[in-house]
Amino acid sequence: MKTRIILSLAGMVLLAVTGCTSVNTIENAQKEGQRQMVSDQRVITDASLARKVSFVGVNQTMTPGGLLKVQIELLNLKRSLQRFSYQFQWFDASGMQINNVASPTIPDQIEGGESKFISSVAPTPACKDFRVKFIEN
Amino acid sequence: MKKTVLLSILAAAIPFIVGGCASAHYVETGGSESVVTVGQINIQDYIQAANAATSDLLASGALDKVATPPAVLAISRIVNNTGQQIDTDLLTKKIRVALLNSGKAQTTTTMGLGGTAEDPMAKGLQQENEFMNDQKTTRKPDFTLSGKIIQTIARAGSTRQATYSFQLSLTDARTGLAVWEGEKEITKQGARPAVGF
Repeated sequence: MKTRIILSLAGMVLLAVTGCTSVNTIENAQKEGQRQMVSDQRVITDASLARKVSFVGVNQTMTPGGLLKVQIELLNLKRSLQRFSYQFQWFDASGMQINNVASPTIPDQIEGGESKFISSVAPTPACKDFRVKFIEN
Repeated sequence: MKKTVLLSILAAAIPFIVGGCASAHYVETGGSESVVTVGQINIQDYIQAANAATSDLLASGALDKVATPPAVLAISRIVNNTGQQIDTDLLTKKIRVALLNSGKAQTTTTMGLGGTAEDPMAKGLQQENEFMNDQKTTRKPDFTLSGKIIQTIARAGSTRQATYSFQLSLTDARTGLAVWEGEKEITKQGARPAVGF
């Protein structure tokens, strides 16, 4: 019993020290917009990151200029802020990667319990497929 | 005795030799291993800002609203309001290349601020062609790209924070109205060392 109390206290102290915060949200229940979800293929090599930040889904649309726009929904499964970097890669109809001079590795962060969207627009109308790389910071 | 001294010298030299060889290596430009400094705009910041501006501009469709695509772009003034000496081409060149590769816009190199051409030889040849053919062949720019880079510094105790705002405007050359505007802010935070500069 005494051990349980000590462990609970230790857990609370740890939470206070690490500054765990999570996000509450509110949104309209009847959605006007319809997301065009796409089936995705995932390769997980960093199980630690996957346990913290998960992929909820991927949707895509075309811009007025005929460029593919991709949006990915992420969810922080933990109660603390997580830092990661991501990079979009684009491929043409032949599966060849299209080199983009401004294709950065973007540092980002997500609050505890937060659902967040990241998006990118294809650099040329020739882009048909994409891949996004995630790395824990 | 001599052998022991020689071995000691060799043993002491090995870490320097090994360390010296391993001190320099290549990293991916703008990658996660890049050096991050609070007081300076790093290369990854330029890449990020250029990528954000290009994506936003392409998605807006502003460049598609020209009579004869691709749109012709002229680079106007990019004001540096930071405390550093920076070459704004680090930002604009990336945007130009990305727009050219997208097929949505081409940049003129024969027109520039104050009548200064980026490529004087091309301008000379263009003028010579116009003189020989006795007709204007130069296509005037549809849009101009201007902007400003601003630095905002904040300090609290030993924590330093710098925000770099990359502001860009695309102006319709016929109407003088901004048809697209974008802003990308990058904030970096770091601790100032207790000792030293």
